[in-house]
Amino acid sequence: MPKPCANCATNTAAIVRPKDRSALCKPCFFTIFETEIHHTITSTNLFARGERIAIGASGGKDSTVLASVLKTLNERYDYGVDLILLSIDEGIKGYRDDSLETVKQNAKEYGMELTILGYRELYGWTMDQVVEQVGKKGNCTYCGVFRRQALDRGAARLGVKHVVTGHNADDVAETVLMNLLRGDLPRLSRTTSIVTSTPSAASSTDPNSHTNIKRSKPLKYAYEKEIVLYALHKNLTYFSTECIYSPEAFRGSARALIKNLERVRPSAILDVVRSGEDMAKLCPGSDEGCGGACSNSVPVAEEEEGGCGSSNGRTAGGEMAGVEKQLAQNEVAAETGLEIEITSNGTNGTKTNAVPVVNGKKGKKNKGQSQPARKAVPKQVMGQCKKCGYLSSQEVCKACTLLDGLNKNRPKNSIEVGYDEAQEDAKLNDAISEVKKLEVGP
Amino acid sequence: MRAYDCQDCGGAAFPEIHHHQQPWLPFRYSTVDYQNILSVSAGTMPGKHVDDGASEPCRRCKENTAVLVVRSEPLCRDCFTRYVHTKAVKRLESFRVRNAALDHQRKFLLALSFGVSSVTLLHVLDHLLQTQRGKTGRTGFAVDVVFVEVPGATVLKDGTLAEAQKAYPDFGYASLPLHDIFLQTSDPGLSSLVPNLIPEDSSSPSEKLTSLIASLTSATARADVISTLTTRLIVEHAKATGCEGILWGDSTTKLAEKTLSETAKGRGFSLPWRTSDGDSPLGLTFNYPLRDVLKKELVSAKQASMSSKNTTIDDLMRNYFEEVETNFPSIVSNVVRTTGKLETPSVPASKSRCDLCSMPVLDGRFGIHGWGGDQQDGSEVLSVQTGPKLCYGCTRSIPQNTTG
Ligand SMILES: [Zn+2]
Ligand SMILES: [Zn+2]
Ligand SMILES: [Zn+2]
Ligand SMILES: [Zn+2]
Ligand SMILES: [Zn+2]
Repeated sequence: MPKPCANCATNTAAIVRPKDRSALCKPCFFTIFETEIHHTITSTNLFARGERIAIGASGGKDSTVLASVLKTLNERYDYGVDLILLSIDEGIKGYRDDSLETVKQNAKEYGMELTILGYRELYGWTMDQVVEQVGKKGNCTYCGVFRRQALDRGAARLGVKHVVTGHNADDVAETVLMNLLRGDLPRLSRTTSIVTSTPSAASSTDPNSHTNIKRSKPLKYAYEKEIVLYALHKNLTYFSTECIYSPEAFRGSARALIKNLERVRPSAILDVVRSGEDMAKLCPGSDEGCGGACSNSVPVAEEEEGGCGSSNGRTAGGEMAGVEKQLAQNEVAAETGLEIEITSNGTNGTKTNAVPVVNGKKGKKNKGQSQPARKAVPKQVMGQCKKCGYLSSQEVCKACTLLDGLNKNRPKNSIEVGYDEAQEDAKLNDAISEVKKLEVGP
Repeated sequence: MRAYDCQDCGGAAFPEIHHHQQPWLPFRYSTVDYQNILSVSAGTMPGKHVDDGASEPCRRCKENTAVLVVRSEPLCRDCFTRYVHTKAVKRLESFRVRNAALDHQRKFLLALSFGVSSVTLLHVLDHLLQTQRGKTGRTGFAVDVVFVEVPGATVLKDGTLAEAQKAYPDFGYASLPLHDIFLQTSDPGLSSLVPNLIPEDSSSPSEKLTSLIASLTSATARADVISTLTTRLIVEHAKATGCEGILWGDSTTKLAEKTLSETAKGRGFSLPWRTSDGDSPLGLTFNYPLRDVLKKELVSAKQASMSSKNTTIDDLMRNYFEEVETNFPSIVSNVVRTTGKLETPSVPASKSRCDLCSMPVLDGRFGIHGWGGDQQDGSEVLSVQTGPKLCYGCTRSIPQNTTG
């Protein structure tokens, strides 16, 4: 006997909802899925009437569903927002062709304006040119760094102040566990917030400055599996992009854990997100104990927010083995007397966060109490890149550092091949390792 | 949930609570040679054993042959024992004789699960007390030991507690059935969680416990509620017997597991209270003297085969960290250090607490509704605030019927 829908009790159930395993008919599943996203948007006051919002569209399932649902909700609830699609073309021959076709088709279906911006326009270099210049080995660094800024730079070009991305609950939960594993509380607290922004541009006189772009993730509480079901049953056209970059070990490890947790208890993904939000309030230096989970804006710079195939790249130096080695060295150092404090940023390190502590000051501690020293995590100092104005913890942001290296070495014309290749290579590698140093920390 | 007959002893056991496993120290451990506990575990440590053929000398004493490698240092048995003792005693600085008033004996409660960590801690404490007595003629503190009997988990069949008592006679011992929690606390909130309770104490504590556990629908929920009640019973017992704090046997690895599994259960808000040394909102201090020792340094933990239906979140994390610990021990320690950096929220005395775990719930954020990730469209659900008040994580284990 067919099972009736748990919601309307009229239709036959066709879908078992991954979030709570309830059996629903198709129309009820659609409505519930959409209503939850509406609830996310309204309870966080995400949109303002009249706002122009760019959807970061990759052609993948997340951003396709995001575009479809936002269009539906904007009409149903009259948000009065102007939705456009923004795609980034890295300039890798063949790689984006199919997904950009998908985005173009979506633009037609949803009647949305579409802008495709290439790395060439944004940075003056396509990824193919970068690879040609630096070789296969170092290009991942460039790709990741460029990718993280591309949407903001693109939005700035269009004069759009708000970009929404397709990050889902699985991505956020994964990021929470990943940052617990690598001990990065500041990043944990930033990435659980629904809105991350690059503020501080009040002082900026350039209206096109990309330092004041608000970024948000309306699908923050939506399960990846439900996004797939929604796309499937709505017959949405999307392109399954296999990420061409293998996820770093920490993310891979956290992702596997999330999948297992979901199997044991379906609500676990949502529960991790909730924990992450609550822990953000307990992070040292969070604003009045809210960590941005309740205030609507948390500064985020060259962040990786998770989600393969979306707007993110990978962070170099995130490998577990490397981190393990560094931590083990620090442990030895601590035992032999010179304690190098392992702070949150052992992996992505800004210099401000690595505080060498000489033994005797902080190293020997806690006479007569078993309380572990609760060290304040120095708040990451966010400034602006003096070249491009992008929010950065360094004087010059990673993208500009890399571009510098590239531009210095750009062949004047294609015939000029007489330069000392080895020497140029070395210079480029220097530039890369500069950036790596920023990421890995001293 | 139905109890089943344990294959080892024939006693009744709940499926997810293994015969020799207690919820707050959940790894398998069977035969314990108390006096030689450290040497035993040194001899059975997994993974990084020194090859039998190679007779590398001990890095510390440079005399004996190393039997195992601890954080890349080959150590002999004696030096390893000293290593664990040192790590633990370092955490017990405040337990020194010089900190003890002459007219008042400080007393702590050791939560013994018969897992290798708490047994090791028992040994370490005994050793420490003997050393203190030998040096000064008195001790800085006294220790009581408590064991909680979880229904069906018949660890005591071999008279293990009596054995421990024989081996370490200086401690006071108590064994309490878990259902005593309904006697030890007058908290009406706790009883309100028992489904279909006939008014006014007509059911016995053990009936209450059975009916509460039977009402839970998943292995994770059962394990979670049992371990929460166990903690509360230990706390109540400590208070009733005049202990100023509780000594938990948790290793680094266990604390890392706890960090991730409580996160996964939606209890991120209470992490600092569950993992750090010092004042607990439950009204006394929590101490984790083995927090700097990895589990693999204590025991060869045997992988248990688990059916996925009865797998709990705690099981999952235990397996996960068993793996991580093998190759990345420092990452395990770093997770615990990271949790230690979370700020403990200050709790006004009047704050309302969760009926199950008794943790303070700030801003009245009870239940699973009324936040951005709410599965229902919020507002109308919030108004119904009858029945027990549970924190987010406890609501996941004991779902509340919101419609009335
Ligand atoms: Zn229906
Ligand atoms: Zn790359
Ligand atoms: Zn820049
Ligand atoms: Zn030795
Ligand atoms: Zn609770």
